[in-house]
Formats: sequence, structure tokens, C-alpha cells
Amino acid sequence: MNPLIAHHLDVTRRTLLESSAYGLGGAALSWMLNREASAAEAAPQSPLLSNAHNLPGLPHFAPKAKRIIYLFQNGGPSHVELFDYKPQLRELHGKPMPEEYLKGRRFSSMTASISNRLVLGNVEPFQQYGKCGAWVSDLMPYTAQIVDDLCFVKGMQTDAVNHAPAISFLLSGGQLPGRPTIGSWLSYGLGSANQDLPSYVVMTSVSKGTSCGQIFYDFYWGSGFLPTRFQGVKFRGSSEPVLYLDNPDGLSRETRRGMLDDIQAANRMKLASAGDPEIATRISQYEMAYRMQASVPELTNLSNEPRSVLERYGPQVTEPGTFAHNCLMARRMVERGVQFVQLMHAGWDQHNSLTTELYTQCRDTDQASAALVLDLKERGLLEDTLVIWGGEFGRTPFIQGDIANRKVWGRDHHPYAFTVWMAGGGVKAGFTLGESDDLAVNAVKDPVHVHDLQATFLHLMGVDHERLTYKFQGRQFRLTDVHGKVVRSLLS
Amino acid sequence: MRPLRIPSISLAIGLVLLIRAGAELLAAPVDFSREVLPVLSENCFHCHGPDLKARKAELRLDTQSGAFQKNKDGVAAVVPGKPEASGLVERIFSHESDELMPPPKSNRKLTAAERELLKRWVTEGAPWGTHWAFSPLKKPPLPENGSPHPIDALVRERLKREALDLQPRAPRRTLLRRLSLDLTGLPPTLEEAANFDADATSNALERAVDRLLASPRFGERMAWDWLEAARYADTNGYQGDNERSMWPWRDWVVDAFNRNLPYDQFTTWQLAGDLLPNPTHEQLLATGFLRNHPINGEGGRIAEENRVDYVMDMAETTGTVWLGLTFQCCRCHDHKYDPLLQTDYYRFFGFFNQTPVSGAGGDPQMFPRIDVPQGDESKRLEAARAALKELEIQIKTVWNESITKRTDWIAAGGAEDPASPRDVKKFGKPGEIKAAAQLPESKWSSDQRKFMEAAWAEHEAGFKKLLTERDTRREKEQQANKALTRVMVMGDMPKPRQTFVLNRGLYTAPGAEVTSGVPVNLPPLAPDEPANRLGLARWLSAAENPLMARVTVNRLWQQVFGIGLVKTAEDFGVQAEMPAHLELLDWLAAEFRDSGWNVKALLRLILTSETYLQSSDVPEILARNDPQNRLLARGARFRLPAWAIRDQALAASGLLVGKIGGSPVKPYQPAGIWEEATFGGGKKTYVQDTGENLYRRSLYTFWRRIIGPTVFFDTPSRMVCSVKPLRTNTPLHALSTLNDPTYVEAARVLAQRVWTAPETSFEARLSAIFQRVLAREPSPSENELWAGALNRQRATYAADIAGAERLIAVGASPRDTRIPPADHAAYTALCLSIFNLDETLTKE
Repeated sequence: MNPLIAHHLDVTRRTLLESSAYGLGGAALSWMLNREASAAEAAPQSPLLSNAHNLPGLPHFAPKAKRIIYLFQNGGPSHVELFDYKPQLRELHGKPMPEEYLKGRRFSSMTASISNRLVLGNVEPFQQYGKCGAWVSDLMPYTAQIVDDLCFVKGMQTDAVNHAPAISFLLSGGQLPGRPTIGSWLSYGLGSANQDLPSYVVMTSVSKGTSCGQIFYDFYWGSGFLPTRFQGVKFRGSSEPVLYLDNPDGLSRETRRGMLDDIQAANRMKLASAGDPEIATRISQYEMAYRMQASVPELTNLSNEPRSVLERYGPQVTEPGTFAHNCLMARRMVERGVQFVQLMHAGWDQHNSLTTELYTQCRDTDQASAALVLDLKERGLLEDTLVIWGGEFGRTPFIQGDIANRKVWGRDHHPYAFTVWMAGGGVKAGFTLGESDDLAVNAVKDPVHVHDLQATFLHLMGVDHERLTYKFQGRQFRLTDVHGKVVRSLLS
Repeated sequence: MRPLRIPSISLAIGLVLLIRAGAELLAAPVDFSREVLPVLSENCFHCHGPDLKARKAELRLDTQSGAFQKNKDGVAAVVPGKPEASGLVERIFSHESDELMPPPKSNRKLTAAERELLKRWVTEGAPWGTHWAFSPLKKPPLPENGSPHPIDALVRERLKREALDLQPRAPRRTLLRRLSLDLTGLPPTLEEAANFDADATSNALERAVDRLLASPRFGERMAWDWLEAARYADTNGYQGDNERSMWPWRDWVVDAFNRNLPYDQFTTWQLAGDLLPNPTHEQLLATGFLRNHPINGEGGRIAEENRVDYVMDMAETTGTVWLGLTFQCCRCHDHKYDPLLQTDYYRFFGFFNQTPVSGAGGDPQMFPRIDVPQGDESKRLEAARAALKELEIQIKTVWNESITKRTDWIAAGGAEDPASPRDVKKFGKPGEIKAAAQLPESKWSSDQRKFMEAAWAEHEAGFKKLLTERDTRREKEQQANKALTRVMVMGDMPKPRQTFVLNRGLYTAPGAEVTSGVPVNLPPLAPDEPANRLGLARWLSAAENPLMARVTVNRLWQQVFGIGLVKTAEDFGVQAEMPAHLELLDWLAAEFRDSGWNVKALLRLILTSETYLQSSDVPEILARNDPQNRLLARGARFRLPAWAIRDQALAASGLLVGKIGGSPVKPYQPAGIWEEATFGGGKKTYVQDTGENLYRRSLYTFWRRIIGPTVFFDTPSRMVCSVKPLRTNTPLHALSTLNDPTYVEAARVLAQRVWTAPETSFEARLSAIFQRVLAREPSPSENELWAGALNRQRATYAADIAGAERLIAVGASPRDTRIPPADHAAYTALCLSIFNLDETLTKE
């Protein structure tokens, strides 16, 4: 046999052997076991597969984090309402915003023309919590309890003022669709630790009653110009979490196994006659599909989760499609070796709903976000798991709407200062980096640009953001474009 | 989740060494354009290239004068013939890390072979030249090596240098399937295969090619790639994602390919049909190409920012499709590698900046546009308009007749704000009615008149009824208006818009003003041509233009071979991959141009070459040394695009509905896909079609830009222009073709078809399945394999009739109840397996 093909068969066989640890598809393996070697010979794991398919030389250095959970809050959560406490806002409530704060700043067309911008105080009071004494709004009572595990970045800045470009910017480093997202870059560079699940998974949720009409564009987890096998796999909040995962009605798992054995047998004949290594790849991909049909239901089956765990995540945890459910799923995924989990919760776009929908948003996300951090911590996973919470921009400290009509108070998009928090995998705990001015308009101390944040994520994963590149259209592209500095002051 | 990877780096190196070794054997002098320029570009141009702002040490290596010029210390980077005196050679061989070029921190590094190459080039006198793709297109002479076909002559000449030759032809039936898939995207029918078998003439293949080129399916196949390049979709994209009706443009593309519209006209009509003298409806329609860009209706977007985005998209799409140039780099700065300046970008942008297209809002029929009314759409609109007009006349009459009554009413103080709740839109702000009542009717503004009408209606029930009816009819008129099929097209404003360089690409930062024009380092516009889109289109297809022919031929080659002669179909710049068959590309490009841009003739030429007809089996040496088949020492073998896999299954089962064109259709899609991606006011609901619309060709599937059809995989998002196929191999694709009802139903119907045929033996049925799907007979070992499979599945389903009945209930098409359920289910599983064979998914 062609030695190259033999090599492929060998690798395929070992992949299958590895997976047999999951107790799947003994029959699936028979052909390969019988053909090439005894199980004993193949027992030592191939180094290639143990850290499946990382690029040579990667990671560039020892990683602090082995996986990332990004709790992405779509719509622009109001930093002014949640974490960036500015007592002056309430003092100046209803008064015109001092012009010097807004000089040269561009706002979206919804408020760009308002000449008289009035300061709007935070709708709920703040208290100090924990040993670190971080200020947190009463809207976030659960997050308030874990501040000593969190690292707040209060001087975040972005370039974009509209949702889609700003989200794309945060997740891919470019405002227009077409660049690979963070999870794709990491899959491309670092490979995957699990052969039965995708390395990059996305789940979305929306609070009930959300009125804004945004969209979960699939380019938010796209692989851009990287091969599409690096794109995020969207797990749906339905009985079939992965598209087309379930066998057709009336076709049992045993029948499918038999069909696959036949298909693989025919494909092996083809491989022998046509010699195309791609056929070996197809054989292994069909086997992985079969394994996913078992590993995904195992992943999404919460029946073995203790009641205490479920309760911690809150009442919605058993409801597929909710943020709480997705948070618990995120923990289960990272436990099983998924490298990048991107949860996206939409509805933070409070143009006229600071006193209404904002409360729902917080209720639906606060408890589960905190529960996830605590759960990971108790399991010893937080040490090498990076959790990030944040949106694409903040909201204006001045009002959008009628100051006399509390029911429709709102704030517009605000890119010049906003807050994200991180926890775990290599960042300082109980720590706050940077600050905005006393009206929360501009980042004035230790500003962190989106590209800096991205460089830091990669750094924590053991990747030098300047060296993870891909040549496209004649140019070496990278996540951080031609910018980005690792924010060393927040590394633990 | 990455598939097993071929250790491609070592193989690639192997190939490079192979090619190099071949070149050295011939001891040919170093070729600047092929060998030196790519090395300089990749490693030096970033700091010593065309971009003035990024240039270090005032040294540029992208021009001869720059490289030969002495610096202030009297040293030139390149001194022809004197490597020891050349700064460049000294620096690349330096052992000092602060002297070494490229600097270690740049992450760029020359290999030992590259350093030697540059030194040899300097030693040989440092001959200069232009990048191959920018040099004038000339037809190279054909080598005389006994190959009658020009493509074969050129390919074999190149292969000789690697001590290789073409593979023998693939089996006849493999070739028929290959040709059919390449030219129509469908497998051959049984009848076509029988006719082909019966054709014993020596030119049977040529006749098959001609038959397929003449098939109306040809245009459909060609249109798919063009739609991806044109970022065609049936919705705007972005928030709101309104539905648009650009599909008449799509049908025009199909038709243009079918009647073989010469490519220069195909180009001119799409880029500038509106600027032709007395443009026809069809020429206007063609310009829809440029208007296929996404429209961003997100609330709060600044109109001018959107408009600039749209114009940039038009310019960049044109740049990619016709020039293979990566213009987008120049939005912010001069190109780092190619001789393209930031001013070139905005001069090019200027061509498209003359449309009155607005950036405001998300109207999916934004002006300029043309009506392409379908069915009774026009009649309905006319009727709705007439009904509205009639009522408006009636209202006017009634209003005028009641003047006295109203005057009294006003005088009596009746014209008051209505009691709550107030409707500001209807009655104006508090006091506005009272203010209007002070004035005579003739002095009312249109708003005041509206408010007074509303107030009067509150008083006069009969009048109110008329106004309510008017609202209803207005609504109907608007609906009929929106429902009219319209295609957004191009048009230039009578008064030109000024165009400025936008600093950092920002619409808010205009710099110097520029006039529309083509890049200064390419041939100029002809002096008698206007500096508008029409001039641009003619410039593209002018004989002097070095790019359009090369770029187009390369894309067509890519369509057939899976990979272009230039791998980077989107980039023909200095950073493009050096083609292994440059002479072939140039010969074909010149031939294409000189043939009057005849697309069918070009394809016929390619498809009748032995190079194309080779077996696609992969001999070990090629798998090792040339895994991507860059040398063309074998036939192409690659997975079909997802759309073709679906069409193939529909065709093989007989479900395919052959109707050409028309509004897009919504075949099977799992419930909830759109609903999960959209929310709030923008919520979209997928309403699956029924009947024949489930079985139309993939080309006609409704494409929601924000979330494309789930039945396809490896498809570009249609957000931006895409000219290179995506081809990956993941478990998700396997799940799709194994479990999507599209394939399960096709398997069930194919099973039904072969089961009900007169020949009832298993062998006959398996043969029919193989013939329909793979256009060949099964081998004895395949017969044995699938007989075993069928028996096993039949036993399974005999013991599970309920399961069998559920499986054969998949899909909307009727089931032939004469077939026993267990048998039908077993054959369905068999057909589904055949649909999932590597051979089925692959074009061999």
C-alpha cells in the first residue's frame, strides 16, 4: 500500500482507538483493528493526536488558560448602570452634560443631533463588596458576591458605534464581516483537545420580551478566510443541539452503524484504488460524526447534575435556550475539552428601557454568570479557564429620551469607555484596571483598546498575537490587525 | 475538530525542491518576475515597498531605481553583478541581529535557498522586470512536442522538467459524469449515458461537450459561481434584513451564460449597461450586479457612512472580479506590495461614487431601480392606485360641499383638540388645531389641513368613515407598490459628486479631491473614453489590459480543476502564488481575448484536452510531492460543492423540478433556524414551500443573507464578493448528507424508483442505483458488499415495521404503497449510503 495512505489509516485507527475510551462503537473499530495491528500495539497515543493538530510551534509559550468562556452581552450593557460607579452623575442628574467631556466625540445618528444632552443618573444605587471593595450596582446582586474573583477592566475603548460592526470588531478584530473570530484563530493555532466535540462552540439566548431587533449573524463566529472547519459550531437551544445531528426518524443507531460500516468499506476500496488521502480524511470525519451523535446528547443531558448545582444557576437552568442553561452547558463543555465557548446573550440595547428591560436582562444573566465562575472554581477549573463578561460598547452617561418620563429613559451607544470583567486563567482576582472620568464618558486611566484585549486573550492561551498569522489576499492577517498590546498589568 | 492533516508543509517543500531541482538542471538564469520578486515582496516590501508612509531608511526595493540608488553612505542595495558591494546581499547574510534583514522581530525570515537566490540574481546582473500579472499579455509560442492540443503541449512541456507525464484517460463513464457535473452541475441521465455509449465515433467526447454546452442547465451551473462573486442574496443583510427582489438579475445571468454573451459585453452591461446609448431593459437589468451589496438598515447608522460602505463594496468587488486586485488594502494607505496607491483606490471609487444611491434606511428597493413586474403585480398596483385616487376625489368633493357647515363649526369653537388620548401624528401638538382654526382654509399648511381634517372627522361621522377608508386604500396601495418586483440598478447623477481620498478610510475624514480614473501603474484609459463606469468597463476588456483575461480564465480553470492555475484567484498582485503553469495561463488568456471573449469556446478547449481527461487517481509520488495537483500530472479530484451534491441527489431520485428562473423558493429547513437568529421587531419566520418548490435546483433557494440556507455547507456568506471555493471536510457535513430530510427523501424516492422498475433482481436494482448516481455499473465486490447490506437492513426492518414506516414517511412526496415497508426502508437505507459514498460526493 502507498505509505502515505498507510500513514493516514494508521492515524485514523488511532483516533478511533482513543475514542473507544468513551465506550462508543466497538463495531466501528473492527475493520481497522483487524487490518493493521493489534490493539496492544496501538495503545501508546500518538503525540500528534494528544494535542490534536496544533500548528507547529504553538503554543508559543506556556499558557495560563487552556480554554475560554466568553459571556458576550450583545447590545452594549450600560457600564454606567452596572459597574462604573460615578456619584457625580446623580448629582448632575437632569443638567446639561458639560461640553468639555463630549468634545470631538461622535455619537450614533439617534443622538448625534441632540444639542442639549442631559446627564442621567444611574437608575439603581451601588454598594461596595468583597475584600477588594469593588462597587457594583444593586442590579447585579450575584455578581456582587464574587468580586474578589473578578478582574474589572473599566477603561475599555472601541472604534465602532453600531452593533454589528462593534461586535464583529470585538470578536474578529475587523468591523466588517470576513475576518476569523477569536475562537477560529485559537482552533486554527492550537487544535482541539477533544476528538468527539468541536473545539469552538457558540450558544445564543435572548431575554423574553426583548424589543430590539438585532440579529445573531453567523459571522460573529465565522472563520473568515480560515478554512470553515475552524468556524464556531452553533449549538441550538432545541432538542437537536447540532444541526442534522439526529438520525432520520425510524433509523436506529444500530442501523446507522451498519450503514457507516458499509460506507467505510466502500470508501476503503476507493482509497485503495484512487489513492486520494482526502478519502482517509472523509472516513475519519464520518466516524467523528457518529461519535458526536453520542457525545452531544451526553453533553446536553443534565440529569446527573446535582440539585445544588442546578439551583445555583437559577430557575431557568433547565430551560434550553436560556442564558442560565447555556452557562451550565459551557461548564460541561470545557470539562469535556471544548476550547472556546462563546455564549451570546442579546437584549442589552437600552435606548428607552433602562427602567424596564434592563432589569430583565440583569435577572436573566447575573445569577448564572456568577454561578459559572463559582462552579468552575469549586471544580478546580477556574485556574486554567478564562471567563470573560462584556459587550461591544457601553452606553452614554447622558439620556436618550425624555428626562421627565422615567418609563422610557434610555442611553445611546458609547464607545469611549465601558467595562468588561474577566475571571480565572491567568488574570488578577479582586482587581480593577483603569478608570473613566468622573462622568464615565472617556477612559482616562489605563485605557484598553479592543485589540489590546484580544492580544491579552491570546497571550493567556500561550499565543503571541503577532505570530499567529494567516496569509490571505497577499497579506499576513492576524486577529489584532496591526495593533494590540498585551495588557500585562492585569496578568496574575 | 480538525480532520487528519496531511503533513502538508513537508510536502510543499518537497514540491518546491522538485521544481527548483528541475530548474537547476536546466541551469537557467534566475527569473526576476517568477523567483526574485515574490521573495522581495514577501520579505522586504512591508518596509521597503510602495507605501511611502511605512517606508524605512528611505529605501524602496519595489522599483529598479530605488534598489540601485546609493544611500547617503554611498552604498546601493543592489549593485548589478557585484554581490560583495550590494547592501542587500550583505544585510541578508549578516550574523549581527541588528544588521540582519529582514529584522528578526519582523517575524519574517529568508531561507538559505532564498538568500542564495538573491545573491545569484545580483551576480547575474540583477535583471529587472515587471510582476508577471501586470506585464502585457502575449500569446507564448507552443512547444513542439507532438501534442496536438495546445493545453497538453504546454502542460507536458512543463511536466517533462519533473520527469512526469500525463496520466491515461479516466474511464469513459467517469468522463461523462465529470463533464456533466462540470458543465451542468447534474449527473448524466440514463438516456444520455446510453447515447454516449452508443456513440462509437472518434469525437464522441467532443459531441458530449457540445451537447452539454448547449443545455439550458449550463447557464444555471455557471450562474452559481457568479452569484457568489456578486454577493447575491434575496435579503439586505444586517438588522431588519428586508427581502429584496433582485432575482430577475439572477435569471439574466443564467440566460447570458446560456446564449454565450461575449464576456466583454457581459462585463460592460453589468458595470455600465445604464451608460450605453439608449440602454435596453436588459442592459439596465444587468447593472443589478453592482447593487447586490448588503444594505445596512440598522437604526442609528449614519447615512453617509453606509453610502460610502456601499460604494467601497462596489469598487472592491469590481477590483476582485475583473482585476484580481486586493484594493481594500488601499482604503487606508498605499498598498504594501502592489503598485497601487491610496489615491488609486479613491480614483477607482470615484467611478461608483456617482450613483444617487442613498445610505439612509433599509429600503430593499432603493433607487435607482427598474420595475420588472411579474404576473398581475402591475395590474394590482394600478387598481389600488385608481381606487385611492377615486376616493381622494370623493373626499375633496365632500369636504368642499361642507364648507358652510364647517365655518359655523369653527366659529362655534368646535375646532378643539380632541379629548384624550391624543395622537400627535393625527391631530398635531396641543393647540395646533386651534391655531389653524384662526386662519382661512386657503392659508393652511398641508399639516394643518391634515389636522383639521382629522378634527372635522371627529365631528362628522360620515367624513370619518371616508378618512378611515382612505387609510385602508393607502395601505393597500403601499402594499401593492412594495410587492412589485423591482431590481436595484445603476445610474449616474447629472451633476457629478466630488470624490475625496478618505483618510484611514473614514467617511468623516476627507482629504485631497480626486477625479475618477484607473490605477496609474496600469495602462491608461483610452483618451477618447469617458472617465466613468462605461470607460472603465471598456478599459477592462481592452487588449492592453493585462488582467481581465488572466483573472477570468483562471476562475474558469478553477471551476473545473477545483484550484486555479493561480491558486489565489482573488489576488493577482505581487503576493499571488506563482503559477506552476504561467505559459498555459497566458496562452489561454490570450486565446480567450482573441476569440472575442467566447466563454463556451474556452471551456470547450479546456474540456477536450488530455490534461482534463486524465484519470484522477492519485499515484503515490504525486500524493507525496504534489498533493494539490499544481503540476496537473493527474485529473482533478475534489468534493462537489454542497449545492451540486443536493442537485445530484434530486436528479438521481427523479425529484428534480427543472423549471428555470423565477422568484426564490424555500425547500426543507429545520424549524426555528431564522427564529433563533432574529428577535424583537426583526423576527423572521421561515415558511417552507410545498410541492415542486421543494425540488427546484439549489440555485433558486431563497438566500437570507444573515443566515444562509442550512442545507448547504462550505458556502460563502454572500456578505462580500467571494471568488474562491471553500472546501473543507468536517463531521457536520457528514451529518448533513446523512440526516437532512432532503437526502433521506431523495434516497426513499430513488429506492421507490428502482424497486418499481420491471427488472426486480437485486443486481438490476443496484445497477440502476449506481447508474443514476454514479453513472457506472457496480463491481462484483460492490455487488457483494451492498447485497449484504441490504439483507441486513431488510432483516432489521422486517423486525421493526413501525420503524420502517417512519423512515419511509420522511419527505413530502407521495410514497408508492405497493412496496412493502420493510423492503422500502431497507432500500432507502441502501440509497442513502450510496449518496454518502466518497465517490458520490466527489467529482472524479
